[in-house]
Amino acid sequence: MRGGMERRVVITACSAITPIGRSKAEILHHLVHGISGVKALREDGLLSPYIHSKVFGTVDYPIVYDFQRQHRKTMGPVAYYACQVAKEALESAGLDQEFVTSGRLGVAFGSTHGSPTVQRNIYKTFFGGSRTEFSSIGAVDYLKSMVHTTAVNITKMFGITGRVISSSTACTTSSQSIGYGYEAIKYGMQDAMICGGADEYDTTAVAVFDNLLACSTAFNDTPYLTPRPFDAKRDGLVVGEGAGAVLLEEYEFARKRGASILAEVIGFACNNNGGDLILPNLGGITETIRIGLREAKINAEEVDFISAHATGTKMGDVIESQAIYDVYGNLPGVVGLKSYMGHSMGSCGVIETIIALYLMEEGFIAPTLNLDEIDERCAMLNHVVSLRESPIRIAAIQNFAFGGVNTNLIIKKMP
Amino acid sequence: MTRDEIMTQILSFFRKEFEIENPGLDDNLREKHGFDSIDAIELLLKIEKMLGSELSHEEKKRAMDIRTINQICDYIESLAEARPASSG
Repeated sequence: MRGGMERRVVITACSAITPIGRSKAEILHHLVHGISGVKALREDGLLSPYIHSKVFGTVDYPIVYDFQRQHRKTMGPVAYYACQVAKEALESAGLDQEFVTSGRLGVAFGSTHGSPTVQRNIYKTFFGGSRTEFSSIGAVDYLKSMVHTTAVNITKMFGITGRVISSSTACTTSSQSIGYGYEAIKYGMQDAMICGGADEYDTTAVAVFDNLLACSTAFNDTPYLTPRPFDAKRDGLVVGEGAGAVLLEEYEFARKRGASILAEVIGFACNNNGGDLILPNLGGITETIRIGLREAKINAEEVDFISAHATGTKMGDVIESQAIYDVYGNLPGVVGLKSYMGHSMGSCGVIETIIALYLMEEGFIAPTLNLDEIDERCAMLNHVVSLRESPIRIAAIQNFAFGGVNTNLIIKKMP
Repeated sequence: MTRDEIMTQILSFFRKEFEIENPGLDDNLREKHGFDSIDAIELLLKIEKMLGSELSHEEKKRAMDIRTINQICDYIESLAEARPASSG
């Protein structure tokens, strides 16, 4: 069993790119006014004509990147997202450059599968008739598309020399990033970690879920009405894009340097269902919730707010509701934040964590969007259906992924 | 291709692709302008297009010692001499 040093870990900075905006003010504006970031699925010239689900959680505003060419040249779209949020989080934290390059700061960052846009371009070169007698795959295409492209482009941009963890577990990618970053600091391997995830616009995930009949198709003409977590009329998930980064620091280090502390990470759990790779599993999910509470050394009734994974699928929401009820009863306010922006895949965990930080700071809970008629099989929970003034002291962020991976991250407001 | 034509094309390529403006012809490109191995591979692809001919593995390996714009031009001249005249 574990022994020895266990240190406290705090979140001192964050930044996000989401379908409902970039800044805290923009994101809260969408939450308060019930504005969705789900739009029509963009044409991709490959798969989109065959996909039944015509909706997508869309980042459709311009982002100004101020990266030098030396950094840009190894970046595909997903790394642009990742480096931008990492840059903003590091800049707002104000860490000095000596620390950043000291080896005491590491990176935990991932994406679902690197850059599918770049991968597609490689295949197009060969299958699209544009191959010439000269080698026509760019020297950097692998660096742009590989699965750990987000993490190592961040290390390159800032000269970070500490640990690199690059999770790639679909929907639990960035919650694992935060969890494993937290553990790296807690057990003394690193003093700070920049953690998160990103996923670029890509139709591959849409096509996969569409094939499995898991995507929403009934609201193609009114994208803002889907997904509908816990609602009786929900008909599946909506894939989206986005990125988020949080900076974790060892508490004493953060306190001594006068960092502003957003919250403390007090617990993390990750387990596997140990069997089926697709179906949600009540036992596995319930267990990850319980492990999270045990790791955080708190009782279930101390949690005020649960950010549910809640993708809006028929069975997933029912199983998650049952698991939440089995552990918490109907005490904590439950919200499915994907109702506002769809499922941003590798970035959903960190984006939901950042939104939980914002709500914690502001003292209210935003409702689940499109939750007009609660499915009776989900109705035993304390669903938040309208804006609720409510201080959040402890929040749990739950994520579950294909492959049977489950995570539960627990954060606490600092006094 | 004359030496001047080669030089003009290479400097233009450096400006457009590598954002390196008017480097000194004998500057150490790596030390002074951050030109790295990835850039070298991109440059070889450009040279193949200029010559209209694929470079052999041995020819490419020779390029790995190149450090300056003048050396790049020498290299391209020597490659061009070893090939039949091409409109490039």
